[in-house]
Amino acid sequence: MTIIKLVQIMTTDFGVYIHIPFCKQKCFYCDFPSFAGREKYIDEYLKSLHRELELAAKKIGAGDQLVPCTIYIGGGTPSHLTVSQLERLLEGIHDHIQVKTVTEFTIEVNPCSVDEEKLRLMRDKGINRISMGVQSFDDGCLKRIGRLHTGDMAAERVKLAREAGFTNISLDLMYGLPGQTLDMLQASLDTAAELGVQHISLYGLQLEEGTVLAKQQAMEKLRLPSEEDTEAMYDYLVDFLPAHGFQRYEISNYALPGFASRHNSLYWQDVPYIGLGSGAHSYWQGNRYENPVDIGDYIQAIAEDKFLHIVEETVSDKDHMEEFCFLGLRMTQGIDKEQFRLRFNKDINEVFGDGIKEMMTKGLLQEKDGALSLTPMGMKYGNMVFGAFIID
Amino acid sequence: MDTEKIRNFSIIAHIDHGKSTIADRLIEYTGTLSKREMADQVLDNMDLERERGITIKAQTVRLDYKGKDGQMYCLNLIDTPGHVDFTYEVSRSLAACEGALLIVDAAQGVEAQTLANVYMALEHDLEIIPVINKIDLPSADPDRVKQEIEDVIGLDASEAILASAKTGQGIEDILDAIVERIPAPSGKADKPLSALIFDSYFDSYKGAIAHIRIMDGVLKKGMGLKMMATGKVFEATEIGCFRPQTTELQEMGPGSVGYLAGSLKQVRDVRVGDTVTLSEGGVSEPLPGYRGVTPMVYCGLYPVDSADYDNLKDALEKLQLNDAALVFEPETSIALGFGYRCGFLGLLHMDVIQERLEREYNLRLITTAPSVIYHVYKTDGEMVKVDNPSDLPDPTTIDHIEEPFVKATVIVPKDFVGAVMEISQNKRGEFKSMDYLDVNRVMIIYHIPLSEIIYDYFDKLKSSTRGYASLDYELADYQPAKLVKLDILMNGEAVDALSTIVHVDNAASRGRSLAAKLKTIIPQQMFEIPIQAAIGNKIIARENVRALRKDVLAKCYGGDISRKRKLLEKQKEGKKRMKAVGRVEVPQEAFMAILNID
Repeated sequence: MTIIKLVQIMTTDFGVYIHIPFCKQKCFYCDFPSFAGREKYIDEYLKSLHRELELAAKKIGAGDQLVPCTIYIGGGTPSHLTVSQLERLLEGIHDHIQVKTVTEFTIEVNPCSVDEEKLRLMRDKGINRISMGVQSFDDGCLKRIGRLHTGDMAAERVKLAREAGFTNISLDLMYGLPGQTLDMLQASLDTAAELGVQHISLYGLQLEEGTVLAKQQAMEKLRLPSEEDTEAMYDYLVDFLPAHGFQRYEISNYALPGFASRHNSLYWQDVPYIGLGSGAHSYWQGNRYENPVDIGDYIQAIAEDKFLHIVEETVSDKDHMEEFCFLGLRMTQGIDKEQFRLRFNKDINEVFGDGIKEMMTKGLLQEKDGALSLTPMGMKYGNMVFGAFIID
Repeated sequence: MDTEKIRNFSIIAHIDHGKSTIADRLIEYTGTLSKREMADQVLDNMDLERERGITIKAQTVRLDYKGKDGQMYCLNLIDTPGHVDFTYEVSRSLAACEGALLIVDAAQGVEAQTLANVYMALEHDLEIIPVINKIDLPSADPDRVKQEIEDVIGLDASEAILASAKTGQGIEDILDAIVERIPAPSGKADKPLSALIFDSYFDSYKGAIAHIRIMDGVLKKGMGLKMMATGKVFEATEIGCFRPQTTELQEMGPGSVGYLAGSLKQVRDVRVGDTVTLSEGGVSEPLPGYRGVTPMVYCGLYPVDSADYDNLKDALEKLQLNDAALVFEPETSIALGFGYRCGFLGLLHMDVIQERLEREYNLRLITTAPSVIYHVYKTDGEMVKVDNPSDLPDPTTIDHIEEPFVKATVIVPKDFVGAVMEISQNKRGEFKSMDYLDVNRVMIIYHIPLSEIIYDYFDKLKSSTRGYASLDYELADYQPAKLVKLDILMNGEAVDALSTIVHVDNAASRGRSLAAKLKTIIPQQMFEIPIQAAIGNKIIARENVRALRKDVLAKCYGGDISRKRKLLEKQKEGKKRMKAVGRVEVPQEAFMAILNID
């Protein structure tokens, strides 16, 4: 496997995440802070976002503008906004963020709600990367997880995005879905590869508490593929994607050379980020923050000019070392031992030696060119390896 | 103190019938401690005791009380441990008394443990004063309870005192009854010194301290003394009484109760039941009833982290300073590494020690299933005592095995007689007798293997009698039984720490249940884990823990790292309770699984 060395991220770099918590319908697997049927709050929410951008620019910006290296508009469903709402959002961003120096500006879209007009607007406002939630090209699978689009529709919208001038398009796909077979996954992967996208995220389904699928499971009405079948899907996709040019750069992410997502990677590389909008998380100057998840609470907090006000945790030296490792290991390039030493003034073996040794013995961890990384087996059992980097 | 003015008494009660609260009220009423000084239930002063509502370590307190005759009396309350594990200690405490309060719950009536202790008190010729407690309860039925005391125990209950430790009712009556009805001690001051040790504890400044009752003679500070059982000679560096804190005295006459310190380094030097006399010119015969400590139940204690081995040893040694009944010696297990084989008076004792090790010494431990002591008679005529199933000799060299049996006394409402019989029969019990205590309650006696009692007999009994059954047992004898060793193989290798000795008739079903239980306990790992139960070379059951196919957190929403951290920390917490046995991570509860199968 080729390991992609990402462009060295400068220490002053940071990312901006903007959350749009609105959806037409909540997907059956989703436990993210997103809501269906709250459209009447969108306008007010966008005003709050605008205000929060202003607060952010004032407090941590340079010359009243934020100067991040990446912007990521996620959700929820950002494309669920109307054209005019989208326009207001993007103008707000331009008011307070210096977009011209942003190297990667992503927006998440749903095949149901993205159209030519919105795509053109996105392009005009400097967005250079589209992340489309497709999950599967199999209509049965889509239906069983509460998606409102068909596979054909998704394929058609990808072409639309390309026609609108986007040259960096990512698809989200899932495996281990209710009723999904290896054949279905193979067909979805074939379609994805043929569409000429540059990036694919492939997530295994996880049943999260409170989701529709979890409820179906509790009522014994959920038909999931067996563990063996799910494993077969995983084994297939980790071979298939690299064979089609998509190199794995993170546990769940694959990209053509040069198309690894900067923003997706900064979470794992100890790079600061500012999260704006309800339920968004920030990592800033050694603290982790979380905005109120409830839309009303969020609007209220912004009305009181609160910014980075709910501290989730202060990352202690111990936490920092742990996170540097268990997050960094999600990347195929792994963690650079020298980087660890520079950052913490300690040898990594001094802190995690026993765990490293145990994981190497188990064949889950490897050392190459001064970097520790997961082996292909370690990618499967990542949690075990990450656990070895939690200090008692 | 004039011997005529001393009254020594104990309190006998079933768990929860209010022994400690009555004691508290007596202490309070006599002004021994002001209300402010009283922590609730002063006598149970270990955290564990309070949590469990039982007395593990007996305490002693001297109360000064002005009787109705206007004279001052010295009342020595000698508290007793309230659990069947500590029967011997109870008997020594009773031997130090002339009388006892029998506390019976006004709603619940006489229970199995009450009976056992009353009979023991009667054996010591104690004057028994029945006290019916909790009469403030709406469900109190003192007349029925009085009748029960007369019918079941054969005591005259006409003068039983009605009391409520909660409201304070009857407390003065109790104190007056102690003065008037319990005889003064009969010891003589001019005889050579003999004092009974009925308890001991360890003080980090003064060393091992004996709780004593002077039977004859006078004990003075500075005297040269001798322990008759151990022959240990020492000097009485400090003597005194408990109020309840230690209060120094210069001398103690016959009948006095108090403590004795003499630069004794370990509690083992101070044996409960031993007689203290003068080193020169003392008595020639010790007081009757001394018995060495004999553990009934053994288990292995292993540190989860093998680096804690020395810490475990230190902790056991410290606990042993204060608990002469705890015995231990190093043991090695192929599966668990280095640890200690520990002997206990019973299951509660074992639980308490284990919990104190974890709590007070911050050790993470693996405890193996408890075992009784088997007498294994070999074909060459030799008898070996086996307290660890993995030490069982080669079956071809065994002539026969004997196991300990107990006399188990169960008291239940009559509707549950069938349930008790069924459980006891299933546990290889032999029916001995059944008597009606009153129209509703029945006392059933079974002769039953101790190993079955320590498995889940009492749990089963409680659950199938809706908690109404009370149980008491005492060691009866050793009897031959057809016993075999049940081994567990994990991933093809025998795990010595999971071996148990079982009756041949139960072996197959126990093996199947145990393998099935282990399957639910052992977490999925990267590879499939076969679990087999075997007797000798014969596999009698097999289960598979399927391989974990994958274990990795997928998507991360908008940088929510805290959530990932929490999941990993939870996972780590679970792993702390695991021990690597070969390649397999085994959780602590697996080693106790045998106790709660079927």
